[in-house]
Amino acid sequence: MALPTAAKTSMLLGRCVPCLKQNASKFKIKRLELDTNLLMYFGKEEFVYAHDPNKICKTGDIVLIEQLPTKMTRLITHAVKKVVYPMGDITDPVTGKKVVAGKYRDFVDSVNKVYGEKEGAFKYDKAPPRGWQEDKKDFTHVQTYIKYHDSGKDDPYAV
Amino acid sequence: MNVLTSVRLGALTLKSARTYAFKSDLKIKWVRPEKIPCIKPEKSGDLEAMMKIDLSQPQLPFRGSKELETADETVKKLFSLEYAPRRKLTQVYGYEMKQLVKRHEFDTGSVEVQIARWTAIIRAYQDLMEKFPRNKVMKVVLKEMIDRRKKKLKYLRRWDYKRFEWLLEALKIVYKPPPDHFHWITRKESLRKLTNNYCEDIRQRRLDEYKQLLQNEQPVFLQEKIRALEFIRNEQRECGVEVTVTDEEVEAVRKQLKELEEQRKSEEE
Repeated sequence: MALPTAAKTSMLLGRCVPCLKQNASKFKIKRLELDTNLLMYFGKEEFVYAHDPNKICKTGDIVLIEQLPTKMTRLITHAVKKVVYPMGDITDPVTGKKVVAGKYRDFVDSVNKVYGEKEGAFKYDKAPPRGWQEDKKDFTHVQTYIKYHDSGKDDPYAV
Repeated sequence: MNVLTSVRLGALTLKSARTYAFKSDLKIKWVRPEKIPCIKPEKSGDLEAMMKIDLSQPQLPFRGSKELETADETVKKLFSLEYAPRRKLTQVYGYEMKQLVKRHEFDTGSVEVQIARWTAIIRAYQDLMEKFPRNKVMKVVLKEMIDRRKKKLKYLRRWDYKRFEWLLEALKIVYKPPPDHFHWITRKESLRKLTNNYCEDIRQRRLDEYKQLLQNEQPVFLQEKIRALEFIRNEQRECGVEVTVTDEEVEAVRKQLKELEEQRKSEEE
């Protein structure tokens, strides 16, 4: 049975993608679609804009979004409900501990303690919140493009 | 229709017809961006070149050697970086880079250390490539290493965002995600984009101008509004009909006017 399209579903889980809009975020929603000829499901990506006045969603976050009773604009059809998984700062839902790749943060820290922590090493507790390198060294919050014109000015988003 | 009229009216209006040979008369000049090789620091995202290392210090394996400390000047010189092959210099540089990000003294395999090691090699090779631009083997190794570092940075970003940002700052690397899709740069498409930007600029400028115009009229309008509201209120009172204009309404407009004037003053100062 074919699923209703993403725009018609009341609640969705999407991945935030770069978006220039002031009060909205863009989400990539991946769902499986049945090919009736092959009787096989194939991944299909749809893009949805959700109202996000405080811009709490950052690129890469997995966010729960909810359909608005009435469309806000032609594009904005949903509202952000909750950031489920912030990117690069995962909490294990079973134990409630922070996770890095395949290990718990506590475990990594305790191993470091055994060897003796270094002075200038990275400290998770003292690190500033995500986004302090935005527009400086980290350009993942914008959609980059291939440089097409040499205007003589600095073009930070061109690759 | 457009084509027909323009042809009839002669050369003057020919430009308005968007035929197959349409040529924009906008003063937009397109400059094809120069190709930057992928191994250059601008592309690889290295903000710093290889640092200057004191050549009088001993090679890395002989650091802290007691025998070398007591040896005479000639031996010290022979064991210094000055008389060592270049790879010994790179070795020291790699060590210094790793020292910046190590989790503990014996850390050799964490992601940060890996990236720091590659960064050191990349910067040393970039330096060498300037001297020997025809060394293809080195070029390939360098490109592969840059790609590998970028891939690892991508993973690190997904695993631990705060560490990723800290590492970018510590090693002075810029991380740019790849564009959505690849396409060759053509004159036509670039001109289209430039024309779009040009039109967008005009639109924005006119909107701003109009906004400014309306804002300049605001104080006069508000004064007029206060006067009109007061007049209506007085008339309604005198005629003995229901008063629809409340005092709060007039006060709100007065407050708005006052705020606006104060804002203007602070802007002027």
